Order: sequence, then C-alpha cells, then structure tokens
Amino acid sequence: MAQHQVNYASSAGLPIALTSVDKLVNWGRSNSLWPLTYGLACCAIEMMASGASRYDFDRMGTIFRASPRQADVMILAGTLSKKHSEFARRLYDQMTEPKWVISMGSCANTGGMFNTYATVQGVDRIIPVDIYLPGCAPRPETLQYALMMLQKKIRKESADMKKNTKQDLTNQTGKRARLI
Amino acid sequence: MQVANKLTPFFENLNFERDDNTMVINFGPQHPSAHGQLRLVLELDGEQVVKAYPDIGYLHRGIEKMAENMTYNEFLPTTDRLDYIASTSNNYAYALAVEKLIGVEAPRRAQVIRTMLLELNRVISHLFFIATHALDVGAMSVFLYAFREREFAMDLMEDYCGARLTHSAVRIGGVPLDLPAGWLENIAAFCDKVDYEVEHTYEALLTENRIWKMRLEDVGVISAEDALNWGCTGPMLRGSGVKYDIRKEEPYELYSELDFDIPVSERCDSYGRYRLYMEEIRQSTRMIRQLIPMYAETEPQLMAHAPQYISATKEEIMTQNYALMQHFVLVTQGMRPPKGEVYVPTESPKGELGFYIKSEGEPYAYRLKCRAPSFFHTGLLQELLVGTYIADVVTIIGTTNIVFGEVDR
Amino acid sequence: MRKYVPKDNVQGKSYYTDRYWVAPRVPRSEVEDAHFASVVTALGDLAKETYVELGQLVVHIDATTNFAVLKTLKEKCGYTQCSEQSAVDYLAKDGEFELFYQLLNVNEAKRVRVVCRIKKGEAIESVQPLFKSANFAEREMFDMFGIKVNNHPFLKRIIMPDDWEGHPLLKTYPLFGDEFASWYEVDKIFGKEYRDIIGPENRDPAKVDRHDTKRFSRIGYEVPFGADISEGEKEQAVEYSETFLVNYNKKGSKQLDERK
Repeated sequence: MAQHQVNYASSAGLPIALTSVDKLVNWGRSNSLWPLTYGLACCAIEMMASGASRYDFDRMGTIFRASPRQADVMILAGTLSKKHSEFARRLYDQMTEPKWVISMGSCANTGGMFNTYATVQGVDRIIPVDIYLPGCAPRPETLQYALMMLQKKIRKESADMKKNTKQDLTNQTGKRARLI
Repeated sequence: MQVANKLTPFFENLNFERDDNTMVINFGPQHPSAHGQLRLVLELDGEQVVKAYPDIGYLHRGIEKMAENMTYNEFLPTTDRLDYIASTSNNYAYALAVEKLIGVEAPRRAQVIRTMLLELNRVISHLFFIATHALDVGAMSVFLYAFREREFAMDLMEDYCGARLTHSAVRIGGVPLDLPAGWLENIAAFCDKVDYEVEHTYEALLTENRIWKMRLEDVGVISAEDALNWGCTGPMLRGSGVKYDIRKEEPYELYSELDFDIPVSERCDSYGRYRLYMEEIRQSTRMIRQLIPMYAETEPQLMAHAPQYISATKEEIMTQNYALMQHFVLVTQGMRPPKGEVYVPTESPKGELGFYIKSEGEPYAYRLKCRAPSFFHTGLLQELLVGTYIADVVTIIGTTNIVFGEVDR
Repeated sequence: MRKYVPKDNVQGKSYYTDRYWVAPRVPRSEVEDAHFASVVTALGDLAKETYVELGQLVVHIDATTNFAVLKTLKEKCGYTQCSEQSAVDYLAKDGEFELFYQLLNVNEAKRVRVVCRIKKGEAIESVQPLFKSANFAEREMFDMFGIKVNNHPFLKRIIMPDDWEGHPLLKTYPLFGDEFASWYEVDKIFGKEYRDIIGPENRDPAKVDRHDTKRFSRIGYEVPFGADISEGEKEQAVEYSETFLVNYNKKGSKQLDERK
C-alpha cells in the first residue's frame, strides 16, 4: 500500500519487515560454529569429553574441523609453551574471517600454575581472545556455556565485520603482523 | 615475498628438492590425531616412510624446575598435569617417592583407597587409549562408547575428590579424604558395566573386525631386545613378550596381596598390544572387586602418623595446639626430608613412571626428575616408523599411547 | 646498600631455616645381597664406592669410565634397560655436575644407580651404542644443563626451541626465565618493536587491577576490550595510615625502587 512505509535503512532493503540481514547472518554464524581442534594439554581431554557422548557438542552445531581454513572458532585448550606460540599465531592467521577465539583453562588465560620460563603467560599476548574460560580443567559444561556466551556475543555483532572492534594489540599501530 | 633457497629454506620444507626425490612432510604440532603436540618430520618415498624425526618440546612447562622452587606438598598438584589422563597415578608415584625418602608408610585404609584409585585410573587411561586409537584408525563409534564409560569413571573420581581430570587425590602419607557413602556400590556397578562393555562392545566391534586386523596386524613390530634397549616399559614391553610388570616384580601398595595376572603378548605388533590393553582392563576390574571388601576391615586412619613430616588430621589441628603449630610450620616452611636420593618406579597405565628425587635436607627438592614412559616411547618412534606407510604412522603413534604432558614435562 | 643476592643459585629458598638444624641422612647399608655382591665383583676396580640405599645398589664411578661400566653391567650382569639418565647441578656447591644412570635388570628385578661427577665444561662419552634410550635422554641432558656428550648421533636441543639461549635447569637460571626467555615469543612472532605494545609478562599471581576489563568475569556487563570501567574513579596510590606506620616521615624518606 502506498501508506505503508517500508523503512529501507533498517531492513537493508529487503521487504521483510522484522528480520534484518544482520540477524540472519548472525544466526547462521552462531549456530554453526566450527572449532579448530586446538587441544594442547589437559584441557584438550575435557574438550574431547565435551564433544563426546555425554556432553554432546554437536547439538550446538559445532563440528570439530582440523583445517584452519574451515574453522570459525579456535578453542585454545591447554598450556601454550613458547616453542609452540609461533604456530598458534600462524594457525590463527590462517583462519579465515569471521573468526573468534575462546581461551579455555587457566593456562591459556594467564599461564596458569606454570609460572615458568617456558610458558606464555596468557594466550592473549599473541592472539586476540573473545571469551576467557577459567578452570583447571574446566568442566565440559563450562565449555559449552562459554560457547553459548560466544553465540550471544556473535548475535550482537553487525554482519559487516569492519565495525566489530576486537582486542588485537597488533592492530593498534595500523599494521597487521603477518607471518608468511 | 619470502623466497626459499638452500641457505634459507622454508620452515616446513626443510629440503625442497632432493636428489633422490623423497618428500619431506611435516606432521605438525597441531593435528587432529588427538595425541597432543607431536611434530614429526617424515621423509617419504612415495607412501613409505624413509626417515622419521620426532620433534618434541611443544608442551614444555618447566615442571622439574618448578619442583626446585616449591615445597614437596605444594608440588603435588603439579604432578597431576604430567600424565593428565590418569592423574592419580602421577600423584601416587610422586607421593610414594617422597614417602620412601622420608621412610613412612601409609596406613591400611589409605592403601586400600589408593590401590582402588590407581586401578580406576588404569581403567580410565585404557578406555582413553582405545577411544583415541580407534578414532585415529577410523572406528569413530568406539570413541563415543569408550567416553561414555569414561564418564562413569570420572563421576566416581568426582564423587571422591571433587575433580574430574586433575585429581590430586593422594597426599604424601596417605589420602586426604575418606570414601563417600555409596561409592563402593557405585564402583562395583562400574566394574560390572566395564567388563560387560569390554566384552560386548569394544571387543565385539574390533577384535574380529577385518579392517581393524588389517590395520593393526604386523604394524609397529618391535622385538623384545629392541624394546628393552629403547627403554620401553609397561604395555609396550609386555606387548613384545617380556613379562615384566612392576606391580608383580617390585610390588608396592597392596599389589602383593591381590590376585591378578599379567597379560603378555608374543605378537610384538599393535594388534597384540590392543588385546593386552583390553585384558588389562579386565584385570583391573578384577583387582577392584577384591579391594572392595578389604575396605570394611580397615581402621579409619587416612594419613600416616609422622608428625615431623606429615600434618595431623583436621580434627586434631582444630583442637590441639601442637598439631596446629606443626601444621603451620609444615605448610609455610615445608617438610624437610633426610638428605639423600631415591628413585621409585611405579607401573602407570602408560609404562614405568618413576620419580628421582634428590634431597639436600631442604624443604624444596634439590633435583626432581620424572622418568616418563612416553618420553622413551617417542624416542622409539624414530626407529619404529621407518619402512611403514603413512597410514601406519597414525596407528603406531596411537599404539605407543604417548601423552605429551609426560614427554615434555 | 642493596641486599646481597647470591647469583650462583637463584632458586627459591625457604623463608626460614633453623640455624641449628642438621638434616639426617637416608640410611645406607653395606652390600649383602648375593646378586648385588656379584655386580660389585664384576665391576672390580671401576667402582669407587658402592652401597645399598633404599633397596637399590648405588655405584660411584669415574666419569671417564662410564661406557666401560655400563657395558660390563649390560653384558655381564644382565642390566639390559637404562630406565633413566640425567644430571644434578652442583656447580654452586662443588663446581661439578653429578650424573646418574638408572639401570634395570629384568630377570632379577633389581635396579642399580651408577653415579659419576664431571666438572663444568667437561664432556662425557655417550652410551647410546649400548642403550638406545640414551639417544633422547642425553639430548635432554644437553638441552637442560649444557653438558656436551661425545659421539652422540644427533646432539641438538630437544625440549627447548632450537634457537633458545641458556640451559634452563641450571641453578643459575631463574624460574621465570631471563630476559631472552621473557620476550621470546614476542620477538619471534612480531618482532622487537612489539615489546612495548604487548608489554612485559605479568609474573605476579596476586596482581589485581580493579579496572581490568580483560580477565574478570562481568557476565551481563561485558564491554569491548579497553573500555573504561572505572566510573570516574581515578587511580590512587596506596596510602598508609599513620597508625600503621609509626614515625613514617614521607618527606624524609626516599623511594629507592618501584614496587614490582
């Protein structure tokens, strides 16, 4: 009808009054998060347990993918040692946008109980993290809760990735650190 | 744009062009084979491996150095993270080493509880072994079935000590907690369930399975002398025909009183080791069933009485003054064992886990070395992988049952 | 004057030690067991000192003879497995490393520890031709202590990264790592310029920053990283009240160093 005004700005030009492209895209992204299998130490066992029969991960649409190119979220589970840090950053760089990071367990959050020469004191020194998950080792239900929080966070984002600011220290100077 | 030449090759392609046309690939520190951070640089001639170089150290956390900076009791939870699949066995190996050094023996009830926990951890570890091994080889449903059983066992551990994975269920001198009500009935039910499942699910699915047999027979063959020479212990050694189990030969805890057999396989290959692991699960449940009635006959003492080294019980600390004072000193300064060194081997689910502790009479250990079975099994991979196909590489890594918390410490 | 901190052993020390405390020794006994006695006779002159400690025979030898001793033990006495092999750093006390080999006789179920001492800078002979488990164990010893091993097929760092400087398990190496260690991952991945951007490691487990948005769980009130949550409160230095510090003259005292 002529009197019925369609507000093109809010629905991105589609004649659907309620659903916007943002919501649709975020629904798709959040409900099918494919994690990269990045189990490093003990938390990896809890991650496997959360993907196994009792605490099934698959009901949230997460399927563990081994290749970083096919993964959305990188769940860093376990202690990141300094020898390994280069590869962790390389794998993070190889993941395609949009990507998120969950840091699982105290070792990934802050270095944990291993306050030594060979442990990176917190994965966020190297990789920008979205959700920090405390515990040693966190229960599988905790990991699923973290994933659900990440889903909530994704649904609040805008579909245009440039608008989302993320904690990435390397971006602050405008240069993006790249490993070839 | 980085250009590779002979002086500065790419990191992965260590030799980009070789004269004999072998390909060098990197089986990197992140791979879905679920075993942790092993980096294998494999030189392949077609599909066959010509040379294998295991690169470890990606999970090095400086645990041995931490031991030189912490008191003995403080260090106990760190030992959990060595073999994180069966945590109590590491805690126990460390506690036993310190107890031998001090010269105390745990009381009877603590011994019963500890032995039950050790065998429960053995079942947990072997279930994890079969789950990940089958997953790597391709039988993915066994992974889900084994994790289901494992969840029951982890519930039992959680009832006892509060943690599913990193237990710290054993203290130097005994155990901290008594068994909760109903735990013994639950573990008896668990033993029955595991026995039933081992026979009717895992063995029914895998033992006579043509594909499983083809993937596992004659893969990863290691002779008895080579196994001894490379430092293999535990199921790797028994899978090659050497009948040596520390629980029988150098018994500790209550193993000398229990009635159990040692499965040995003469086949020397992965299939023999698989059968060995299944049989060991059965022997473990047999042992747990023998231990359950032993619990009722014991005095309710959980920690050894050695006031110089070990704190009193909580009731005494809260009511008696000297107990409180001694507990304070032991917690803040730490216990001071006698000067000397000790090496105590125990049979962990992976092999011979031993702790070498050198003490100078200080509250902090002067040197602690953890003899990890997986470290030597990873060294063995150098020789074992040569001549196998790429698909067998995954099988062999699975059958050696390496866990990287131990390898890298 | 600042407090003197000895640099030859920077490991943690107990906060209090009784001056008159004398540590007892783990009891050692003479060799009585028949099997161990036969081992001692087989070794003959090579064994400088032997005793039995906690059920295991301990043999002290000269470092130059380690290959010969282990060969005798393997071939004549049946000790076919070398379970463990490592070193203990006694450089601060005696200027020596104490190496040990832990051997196992599978048939008799007996264990022997072979102990020798080497000075700093000396190398020992590899026992890899006898026991292949020494391949990795000697590499680890080299990596952690810097003890070179002669005739080893592949003596390279195994546990630390290849370009690591320093040998971690020496007593002079701090637990938190020296400067090379603390910036290793930043230098390796991003380069030295990013040291200021990423900042030093936080090695203080008790550090609490009330306005930290990173690691505190504010479920339901999450903000993007770096957003200001101080609600206008300025950061204030801790002020000690007068009753806590008696005779504290703020103008008369000088701050020597920052609180670390």
